[in-house]
Amino acid sequence: MQFLQQTINGITIGSFYALVALGYTMVYGVLKMINFAHGGMFMWGAYIGLTVTTGLVALVGYASPWALVPTLIAVMVAVAGIGVLVERVAYRPLRTAGRLAPLISALGMAFILESLARNVYGASWKTYLPGLVPGGRVALLGNVRISVMQVLVLLVSFLLMALLYLFVYRTRVGTAMRAVAQDHEVSRLMGIDVDRIIATVFLIGPGLGGMAGLIVGTYYGSFDFTLGWSFGLRAFIAAILGGIGNIPGAMLGGMLLGIVETFAAGYISPQWKDVIAYVILIFILIFRPTGLLGERVAEKL
Amino acid sequence: MMRKLLLIAFALILIVPVLSGCKREAGPIKIGVQLPLTGDFAYEGQGMLKSIQLLVDQTNAAGGILGRKVEIFVEDDAGDPGQSSQVAQKLVDAGVIAVIGAYNSSATEPASVIYNEAGILHITPSSTATRLTEKGFKRFFRVCFLDDRQGLFAAKFMKEVMGVQKIGILHDNSTYAQGLAEHTKRYAEQLGLTVAFYDAINPADKDFTPILTRIGGAGLDAVYFTGYHAQGGLLLKQTGDLGLKIQWIMGNACNNPELIQIAGVENAAGTFVTTEPLPKDVNTPEARKYVEDFKARYGEEPASVWWMMAAEAFNVIRYAIEQTKSTDPGVLAEFLHTQAKNIPGITGTIIGWDEKGDRLGTIHVAYVINEKGEFILYPQQPSP
Repeated sequence: MQFLQQTINGITIGSFYALVALGYTMVYGVLKMINFAHGGMFMWGAYIGLTVTTGLVALVGYASPWALVPTLIAVMVAVAGIGVLVERVAYRPLRTAGRLAPLISALGMAFILESLARNVYGASWKTYLPGLVPGGRVALLGNVRISVMQVLVLLVSFLLMALLYLFVYRTRVGTAMRAVAQDHEVSRLMGIDVDRIIATVFLIGPGLGGMAGLIVGTYYGSFDFTLGWSFGLRAFIAAILGGIGNIPGAMLGGMLLGIVETFAAGYISPQWKDVIAYVILIFILIFRPTGLLGERVAEKL
Repeated sequence: MMRKLLLIAFALILIVPVLSGCKREAGPIKIGVQLPLTGDFAYEGQGMLKSIQLLVDQTNAAGGILGRKVEIFVEDDAGDPGQSSQVAQKLVDAGVIAVIGAYNSSATEPASVIYNEAGILHITPSSTATRLTEKGFKRFFRVCFLDDRQGLFAAKFMKEVMGVQKIGILHDNSTYAQGLAEHTKRYAEQLGLTVAFYDAINPADKDFTPILTRIGGAGLDAVYFTGYHAQGGLLLKQTGDLGLKIQWIMGNACNNPELIQIAGVENAAGTFVTTEPLPKDVNTPEARKYVEDFKARYGEEPASVWWMMAAEAFNVIRYAIEQTKSTDPGVLAEFLHTQAKNIPGITGTIIGWDEKGDRLGTIHVAYVINEKGEFILYPQQPSP
């Protein structure tokens, strides 16, 4: 019984990692660059969501889960805007500058986004208003419970992954993205506007990240400006584990990391959770250095 | 001509130190404040700073101490041990005679070494880890009480008031929380309770459902959490989300309204908190004046006992300077160790300090969170 509950706990944590990991993987797939600022964008999703929901609730006078629908749109648009801006200001000028400079630029952006959030919203813990999150729990098999919110999070995660997959593999823009992922120069010769494709990637990746921020923020109810690091780092590792650049891989890596962490914390001790989880991950990477699904390097995205 | 200029320059070099020397004599009394103004503990740090600022301004408006103004030097350690050493060095370089801080024991520990070497009077308002006063530092004091006292109180409360037998203890591996957990475990076992669960969480985590699921299946009568309020609130919320029935008791770092905000009222109700009393529950004229003045200036009540303790730390420094007519840290420390007895403090009468710098006595009480999400002094308290 406890095993089943722990599995549900693990899948929930894992789906958050997976949602954030999608953003890392998309950018890496196209630019071969690790966008460390992704965690910061994710965190801004939580903050912007807080502002929008607070404003909406003040406007209509009561809190309802329906407020999350317009909030979600606002957050995705706003964070996608941040993403495009960051790309334009901090990454595009460095695109031909080798691998190290954009990496440092990304780390710098991560610090800037974090400090901005702290200075704008303050350092204290922020809490979403109660009543925004659909309540209720479903009892499966006796004491094992899954909350409506957990089911929603899982559904949204899988739906998004499927949509993203279809977008990348079944649309013209997606095909262009895969072309850019393989070779910028040849893509340009084929008439693809590489800058625009990359800007699109920075529209979708951070948009998804912002959405993940809103979901994590409302699910746990409280957060502070360090949110980006704690989830961002884990999600980054999940992306590597699944095979960075690979969309189903990000999902798989996130789930696996969440479940391993949960079992380590639940059956051994939370103090040893990270040691156990990362020893296992290192072993996986020793045997599969490109990650679990990161085999076909040429077709990556 | 050149020679003349050189002569003038030389004369200036000689005069300037003399002038500044004169200034130092009549200048303000410099007191350092080291608190977490950003980071996890920023809420506490900011409130504590407000408290100190209030007393400093009141003191200066009344003519200062010994006719000299008080000037405070504020540094932010973010609750981080590494940053703590850096800002401690900055305060030493600024030439302060005394320091109030830090908030958490992990930050106070490295700073105390630096202040000790510099010979500065160091008073922590809120760091309760026992080992801080085990280093033989002659100028280190606290105005709060040891974790050891709180551990004993918590064990007694569980046994005498709650009447439980099989308990769990959860900490977060920080200096403070681990210390409190160890003391509670020791006293609980001495009182004949069974500590059937003892573990720690990682405070950087957001999701504690794995460990909560395990606690929920362990058949414990009560669980004592000794960590901080941000994690305490999440523990309560997720206990509710999982539909578990766990009787939580939390230590004094959870004595904060944000705990209830994070947890949600329905998840927090029924939780006990062992702590020093809230400012509004201290019934001395000094305490009431402090609460009134704080409200008048900031438009809010002092929300936590640590804000009051920060004011108390300043109060003690002021008292010691006034009594000894000295600003020499050595003289002040000697006075606090040997002569300061039954000082009328903001947090109740200060009986005095022992040779290690620990405040004597205790003022711990148990609160319960009610259905409206308020901390209520629990009607039953264990024997003193």
